[in-house]
Amino acid sequence: MAQFLSANVERLLNHVIGLDPDSQARLKKLQGKSLQVRLRELPWPILLQFSQRIDLSIVEQPDDLVKASCMLELNIETLQQLRDSSKLTQLIQEQKLILVGDMYVAQSVSSLFQELHIDWEEELSQYVGDALAHQTFVGARSALHEAKTQIEAGRSKLSAQLLRADGLAVGATELAHFSDEVDQLRSASERLSARLLRLEMAAKVGH
Amino acid sequence: MSDHAPQTEQPHSENTPTTTHFGFKQVETQQKVALVKEVFQSVAAKYDIMNDLMSLGIHRLWKRYTIDCSGVRSGHKVLDLAGGTGDLSARFSRIVGESGKVILADINEAMLKVGRDKLRDLGIVSNVDYVQANAEELPFPDNTFDVITIAFGLRNVTDKDKALASMFRVLKPGGRLLVLEFSKPSNELLSKTYDLYSFHLLPKIGQLVANDADSYQYLAESIRMHPPQEELKAMMEHAGFEQTTYQNLTGGIVALHRGYKF
Ligand SMILES: C[S@@+](CC[C@H](N)C(=O)[O-])C[C@H]1O[C@@H](n2cnc3c(N)ncnc32)[C@H](O)[C@@H]1O
Repeated sequence: MAQFLSANVERLLNHVIGLDPDSQARLKKLQGKSLQVRLRELPWPILLQFSQRIDLSIVEQPDDLVKASCMLELNIETLQQLRDSSKLTQLIQEQKLILVGDMYVAQSVSSLFQELHIDWEEELSQYVGDALAHQTFVGARSALHEAKTQIEAGRSKLSAQLLRADGLAVGATELAHFSDEVDQLRSASERLSARLLRLEMAAKVGH
Repeated sequence: MSDHAPQTEQPHSENTPTTTHFGFKQVETQQKVALVKEVFQSVAAKYDIMNDLMSLGIHRLWKRYTIDCSGVRSGHKVLDLAGGTGDLSARFSRIVGESGKVILADINEAMLKVGRDKLRDLGIVSNVDYVQANAEELPFPDNTFDVITIAFGLRNVTDKDKALASMFRVLKPGGRLLVLEFSKPSNELLSKTYDLYSFHLLPKIGQLVANDADSYQYLAESIRMHPPQEELKAMMEHAGFEQTTYQNLTGGIVALHRGYKF
């Protein structure tokens, strides 16, 4: 079920933006707005709806799709570049991105993630006290590791569940897609892990 | 529980009192309402944790799927009927935003209270109203809601036809009803396994966690007595819904029915 994926991605997004105390203010600009993202690699569009948090849905039937404030169509590789909101126009010109609707929404979402200032040490030191805050990076990485294993476990558990012989059955191609998505997610989290490591190094040097 | 006395005796017509099923038992129609109430009164506090345990957490995905199919958007007015502890309402509330409204309606005040507390803890207050109401006689004007959902609620309702008619009445033209409910597994083996689970394991878990095997025995029985896919679809059509369809989830253990009012 695609909802398994969307639930996890949603949790991850909200967790990450929850770590930046300023993100609520930026999220506020988006309240009541929605963004539809059509990744060419995915069978269904993704809908992000903004309130005091982000609700993410995967809409399988076109009729159920709610008209969003803004719609983006792009490849997964381009997704990465969206984090730089100044590049939007360039991406459109290069035909890497189709944007329909309110460009301001796309920009705000982009800057929401671009401007994330997560003080990992501060964040995590709350859990372990102020003692040698950099040690806590270890905790962050193991959380990440846990998330990854959870995703992996989910993939194998779900393969069986997904292959149902009824109306909602997910075909082999879709399952392959799903697997690809998981790979994407995993490499994204590996990149995050690498960034964490760099941060940790920087923190150590600073001490 | 089985020797629970009916609270009122006067039959509402000159006919002999009609009976209905309560789980596998036959009880007087009026009595079922009281019995169902008792069940949910007694499970309310442990309801959420039991849901996770009983469905291994999958109920969250079923509910999520339901919401993804609802077409709900900013500004909509949504009725989460038999909404219990408010799982669907929480998400609806965020999606409809300040210009929209969510009504969490349930016949049982204990369930409503747990729901209200939970939503308050989640910081959701401004656009959710809590209404104690019987699905059979909804206290709302005609053509009020853009979307109505009833998740794991319909099987507990005594007169389902009456309830569906009532939902049809309060739905706006163009609006849709989504019924998420246990159903009939399409596969014989799955059906058997599931029976085994719900009749043997479920009451035991209920006993262990909530110290209440009876209520969970009722839940298992009520699941079995609920009309299967095609029958429920026909009932919805009978109530006036159009373009009625259903989708089996998890092999038909659960089905999501939808219908529109035009
Ligand atoms: C199994 S719970 C489902 C709660 C919630 N929708 C969920 O999915 O978690 C069933 C709910 O239906 C309510 N209920 C039973 N009969 C009802 C009726 N006639 N009208 C309204 N609600 C009713 C019960 O009080 C209970 O809260």
